[in-house]
Amino acid sequence: MLTHLASPVTVNWGITARCNFVCSHCFSRLDRSPELSGDDARRVVDILAAQGVMFLNYGTGEPLLRGDLFPLTEYAVGKGMKVTMNSNGSLIGPAAADRIREAGFHSVGISIDSADPGTHDGFRRMPGSFEKAVGAARLLRQRGIPLSVSSVVCRVNHRDFPALVSLAKELGAHTIDLHNFKCSGMGGLNKERLDLSPEEWKGFYEAAVPLRRSEKGIDIAFDDPILSLLGEEEQGKLVAGSVCGKLSLYIRPDGEITPCGFIPVTIGHILKDDFGKVWNDSKVLAHLRTKAAAGKCGGCAKFSSCLGGCTARAYAVHGAWDAPDPHCWLGD
Amino acid sequence: MVPKRNPEVVWRLEKGIHEMAWDKARKDEEYEDLGVLTLMVKGSIHQLNLVGAEIWTRINGINSVEKIAAEIGALFGWEAVEAHDAIIEFLKGIAERGWVEFSEKAAPASPKWKGH
Ligand code: SF4
Repeated sequence: MLTHLASPVTVNWGITARCNFVCSHCFSRLDRSPELSGDDARRVVDILAAQGVMFLNYGTGEPLLRGDLFPLTEYAVGKGMKVTMNSNGSLIGPAAADRIREAGFHSVGISIDSADPGTHDGFRRMPGSFEKAVGAARLLRQRGIPLSVSSVVCRVNHRDFPALVSLAKELGAHTIDLHNFKCSGMGGLNKERLDLSPEEWKGFYEAAVPLRRSEKGIDIAFDDPILSLLGEEEQGKLVAGSVCGKLSLYIRPDGEITPCGFIPVTIGHILKDDFGKVWNDSKVLAHLRTKAAAGKCGGCAKFSSCLGGCTARAYAVHGAWDAPDPHCWLGD
Repeated sequence: MVPKRNPEVVWRLEKGIHEMAWDKARKDEEYEDLGVLTLMVKGSIHQLNLVGAEIWTRINGINSVEKIAAEIGALFGWEAVEAHDAIIEFLKGIAERGWVEFSEKAAPASPKWKGH
């Protein structure tokens, strides 16, 4: 397997840290960093386009709160990038949906965490947010905009995901991303209440992986290196472990670069440093790409594919890059 | 027969690696394992080596299989029959994955001017 590509395939970009929600799990709600000006944001696009970045994904806060979202997107699309975003859907009415289509978004992810409105609203801490998210998804599909549903698997929904998959399918989503819970930001504060035990993660994946195989109308995506334990995600994998710093990078609202949104370690600044140098020479990235097996990973046959699992989780819980992923259910 | 790329496949040539692979090929060194072109299809990521990349970049809905085979043969110094068979094999493989489809005729070339 490769350690990394010549430049990232995907850059996740927090174009704003502002949000109209305060969700229980959010990695960025504690982020108070100022956002880049419109001119600087365009310079970011220029830099990433010159590096051959294929996908630009807006995440972090609610992208629709940024006034220049649409012209910025048109600019990036004009540079040949595929632009996607994750939204809570609350600000997507008919006019915004029209603008999303006109701006040329490649796909839009709407966060829906449960097929049960009360569960979703409780998790998102916003009454009525389920109806708005579902309404936004329908508006997008009515306009032919490719849709994905983005869900965070945790204690509130880990047994109900088949209903969530059915809902996403009914809404016309091409993909449902079942993100694993990360204990960063609000997720760190609410870890005890929301995270699953390693055994529960095992139970979740043992039920969800067969559904992914049998499900025909929608792609179920996990993106969790721990799946190596079930013999999944090994075939055709380009890099070992998580993709952060190997195929993707994260840019914070203020332009600081980190390996991923869940790892709060700055490795450079998109406008102040040479992006190619950061990607190729960062000691932090070098470490993530070639982790050493620590603790129980030392004797694990899956290490070459799993690479210790999710580095963000290991770092958040143990403060060490090489520590075994706390979600790993393999016995110590 | 004319192959056409699936527009949902997003791809790029890997900066530096393409040149490195050609450099190795010219020096008769191993180049087959280098990932020269990266494709993203439905959320999963794949790579093509130098030969695959040279074929892929010639697929445009206009070039016929014969034309591509002739160019690739000339590029890598292969016999005509050998080149044709290898290209057919490669195209069949990626067609099965849904990355290309075939038509009998070339798609009309897009106009070179823009009128009002
Ligand atoms: S022991 Fe380490 S390498 Fe093995 S599956 Fe668990 S996290 Fe991955």
